[in-house]
Amino acid sequence: MTRLVVTRALHAAAVCAVVATSVFVLLQFAPGDPFATSLDGADIPPGVRAEWRARYGFDRPPTERFVRWAGALARGELGYSASRHQTVAAVVSDAVPRTLLLVGVALVIGFAAGVGIAVLQARHHRRWPDRVLGALTLGGVAVPEFLLALLAMTWLGVRWRLFPVAGIGSLGDTAAWPLWEQVADLVWHLALPAIVLAIAVASRVARHQRAALLGVLDEDFIRTARAKGLGEWDVLWRHALPNAIGPVIALLGLALPSLVGGAVLIERIFGWPGMGLTLFDALLARDYPLVLAAVLLATVLAVLARTLTDVIAELVAPRRTREP
Amino acid sequence: MATNTWRRLMHDRPARIAAAVLGTAALVAFFAPWLARYDPTLQPDPVTLRLLAPSWQHWFGTDPFSRDVLSRVLHGARVSLGVAAGAMLLAVTLGAALGALAAVFGGWVDAAVGALVDVLIAMPRLLVVIALVATFGALSPWWLIALIGGSGWLATARIVRAEFRDHLQRDYVLAARALGASRWRIVWQHLLPAVAPQIAVAAALALAAVIPLEAALSFVGLGIQPPLPSWGNILLDGTDYLTTAWWLVVFPLGAVTLTVGSALVLADRLRAAIAGEEHRR
Amino acid sequence: MTRIFLGRLALVLCLAAACGGRDRGPTGGIVVVSAGADAETLFPPLVVTNQGRAVTELIYDKLADIGPGLNTIGDAGFVPKLASTWEWSRDSLTITFHMNPNARWHDGRPVTARDVQYAFKVWTDSAVGAVQRSALASVDSIATPDALTARVHFRERAPEQFFAFVYTLIPLPAHRLAAIADTALHDAAEVRAPVGNGPFRFVSWMPRVRLELAANAAYYAGRPRLDGVVYVVAAQGATVAARLLAGEADFLEQLAPPDFAQLPADHSVRAQAYGGFDYLFVQFNLRDPAATERAHPIFGDVALRRALTLGVNRTAIVRSIFDTLARPAIGPFSRTQWTADTTLRGIPFDSALAARALDSLGWHDTNGDGVRERGGRPLAFSLLVPASSRARQAAAVLLQAQLKTIGVRVTIEQADFNAFLDRAHRAAFDALVGGVRTSPSPRGVRDVWSTPGPAAGTQNFGRWSNTTFDAHVDSALAATSAGAVRAHVRTAYQAAIDDAPAIWLYEPRLFAGVHRRLTVGALRPDAWWANVASWSIDPAQRLPRDRRASPTP
Repeated sequence: MTRLVVTRALHAAAVCAVVATSVFVLLQFAPGDPFATSLDGADIPPGVRAEWRARYGFDRPPTERFVRWAGALARGELGYSASRHQTVAAVVSDAVPRTLLLVGVALVIGFAAGVGIAVLQARHHRRWPDRVLGALTLGGVAVPEFLLALLAMTWLGVRWRLFPVAGIGSLGDTAAWPLWEQVADLVWHLALPAIVLAIAVASRVARHQRAALLGVLDEDFIRTARAKGLGEWDVLWRHALPNAIGPVIALLGLALPSLVGGAVLIERIFGWPGMGLTLFDALLARDYPLVLAAVLLATVLAVLARTLTDVIAELVAPRRTREP
Repeated sequence: MATNTWRRLMHDRPARIAAAVLGTAALVAFFAPWLARYDPTLQPDPVTLRLLAPSWQHWFGTDPFSRDVLSRVLHGARVSLGVAAGAMLLAVTLGAALGALAAVFGGWVDAAVGALVDVLIAMPRLLVVIALVATFGALSPWWLIALIGGSGWLATARIVRAEFRDHLQRDYVLAARALGASRWRIVWQHLLPAVAPQIAVAAALALAAVIPLEAALSFVGLGIQPPLPSWGNILLDGTDYLTTAWWLVVFPLGAVTLTVGSALVLADRLRAAIAGEEHRR
Repeated sequence: MTRIFLGRLALVLCLAAACGGRDRGPTGGIVVVSAGADAETLFPPLVVTNQGRAVTELIYDKLADIGPGLNTIGDAGFVPKLASTWEWSRDSLTITFHMNPNARWHDGRPVTARDVQYAFKVWTDSAVGAVQRSALASVDSIATPDALTARVHFRERAPEQFFAFVYTLIPLPAHRLAAIADTALHDAAEVRAPVGNGPFRFVSWMPRVRLELAANAAYYAGRPRLDGVVYVVAAQGATVAARLLAGEADFLEQLAPPDFAQLPADHSVRAQAYGGFDYLFVQFNLRDPAATERAHPIFGDVALRRALTLGVNRTAIVRSIFDTLARPAIGPFSRTQWTADTTLRGIPFDSALAARALDSLGWHDTNGDGVRERGGRPLAFSLLVPASSRARQAAAVLLQAQLKTIGVRVTIEQADFNAFLDRAHRAAFDALVGGVRTSPSPRGVRDVWSTPGPAAGTQNFGRWSNTTFDAHVDSALAATSAGAVRAHVRTAYQAAIDDAPAIWLYEPRLFAGVHRRLTVGALRPDAWWANVASWSIDPAQRLPRDRRASPTP
């Protein structure tokens, strides 16, 4: 077990190192620098830009910058974000919790809803609930997320004013509010982005889960369970689902990075500045230290999530592999 | 046995409908210049004829530049489906090749491919593509194909590797080996045909993933360059007028949803056919 | 011509109407401003963007501010702020500012001449890296004979020396910042939670989310009517507008053309015009991108540049994208600048004439592909557009179609803004859709259009060089009377139009989105935030957020 953990950790570290290096190399080819847009203006002399470039070492050769950056990273320093006039650590520590919250909530809701839909579909296989839900989940995958987000904002936000259009909380000193009001405020603001993201997750989960369930329902042990006189719901929930859910969880782990990436546009539209948006803005601002830190963090998160989902998948569905 | 899978699929009604939709889309894309009534870049009068609602002259209305939306959606099929098909082919070929290499050679090749997959899968694809577009500037459709295809082979590689490893243990492969067949002969004559349905599933899923990706790229202004129409940049023009000119969104969105949905249904039915086949066996 | 006149009239009326409302209105209420970007920093010397200024200039006052006439010569029209009076020495090389004795920093300490002196030190210290410090290059030193007197010594006389000094230098709290090393100022905690002296004081800042300011009850010019100002930030244009339309925000700096169709039917949001200092153009690269010592193979020829201009229907471009919300540009200036001249002779739209001109220049479509060529080179070029600007993209698409009809092939290249600027600075482009936000001063024209050199033309991406233009711009900037300035810029502008280094496209008119409950008065075209202290919210239309969001004093 320890060996497994150690090899996993080494592997993850290697992946992170490769990712960081390749991103660093790639960035060297990108035109512009952190001061190209922030210090561009008719009345700003070019000398000022050169000065700022020198201050942050952008006049140095790339290899030297990489060594410096890696050295600082080893000391636990992520550097300074020139586009935000803040340390990278401060920027990232603001953004990470927001992403974890948004993606986490969307994952939980989406996963639960997706599994529920799949069970319902399997229960009514080839009848109208299956058909209707099938069409809906198909649409949930096929409609681009940014469009879903814009539609939700325009109708649920602007037209019917059910939820705030954007933002992460109400104005004012919310920290002084009673706890339940703080939570309610957070949920209220989280609603639109989380719903849109959850729709995307639920659709994908439901489609995979339904297929997996239908595959399992033909197996012998299900027939045995039915023969014992169990109701169809019991068979589905107690016997079929535990055996069919493992691959879906593993799949979710694989899909997590793209979920974080796909959240870029949702974060942008709903003014929810998490990691995706931070990375996107940093890319456009050529804020290299921030890009590198964000990519590295995303990689770590992805690797962690994969490991976690692998473990969960193994814990959830060991029954059939042990039986024969 | 793979041939049985194909036969099963042919008798499956949803699969036939989905295939028909995709086929029609491909035909439309091919014959767009003959089907469209107008030049998709023609701006008859961008002041008085802009944003016209659907009418007999313009079935899908006109856009903010007075261009005919129907003609643009038809021509957009060329670009969007062309990019999607190209990227899909590239992704599937790359994925199949790398997956096969990993499975057949094993050892360090397997480890290297696995590491590459691990690295790439950790990075969000949309952001990778955005970063590359930002790096290399505006992209021609060919570059877009290379970029999207080059970043989309992971799933195929995983599937092919797993299937190959599974089949390599089976009796018929062992028998062929014992009879002295070379490794590549086995791959070409036995493994690839056997795994073809799974590759087809991966291909359909890749197609379904690429079309929304192109739309998302257009949404951040880094997709297909105007005036070349693509479903993504028609949608982008529409997002400014969500409540005031519905036809700019509804029609391209319909095209996207239909094709992506059909690709997904096809993948589903194919998977079901494979499962049915395996089950029977 | 008529339309231009009517536009002017409307602006004047609106200014007049707004001025009438200045002295009415009760106190209270929080204004929520929906912003498309966040302030990059709250440290005035490092502020570059409009949004950064919109925040810092509410927290910090200047010594004096430009007047409603936006004059930049001498001190005519300037409004006293931290300095209640000033006088000039006989030789104009010294200006003595007398500080307002009631001015206080937000921590209660008086604002003194030492703060002006300290700010000058910070601004000019290269360790700080202040971006606008070249504007202070003509200031030699600042003396403080007593706590309330700042004597500014200039190296040379210049017509705009007063404007350049007071518009740039913002006094900083020496008693709080002097202990911090200049190199550490840019991210000091003190600078992220600034103590200013303006009508509003800093409350909190959540970067890229929101920034809250509260009324400064001890403000020397009287407490602002509002209880506070909150900026809420979203990067997506649709979201910024949606916040206003949904009633979550009260003010939006600039409505985009598609937003107008979405203004609510109940008139809860209105559009208010306030001029605008932008002008946009298609800039030609006059040098060969492959070898800058050579002239550009197509755009090196002035007759061809003029022929292309003839082929562009700018009125149609403006009407299509902006309807009446913009006007065709005249030359390298904005109509809002006091030096603007609407009587200049422009190049009209005449595609038949354009086609004949191209014919006579030897460009013919010999192979029937719809594109003219000469000596085997097709009349084709790429047009670089920033991906962030929808209006510029639209202009490019319209232009492409128009030039196609006279046999010119334009390829549009979108690039993200960073890449766009990088290529512009390296002159690695054929033509680009550029834009300039001018200031009240005509000074900026030298940076953008004069022959590139160490002191001028730093933004002249197309490397255009015209001696008439250069000479008259230099003369204009050295002239001391408004009449002389006008005469020189007129000649210079006419040279820029005739020599066609660019196709002058359009000048967008700025329209703020304002909620019904908010009264804003006149908005200054160069700084909409200039009079926030006199804005007010109708007490009958208070919202729960006005109460809840009120920061505790």
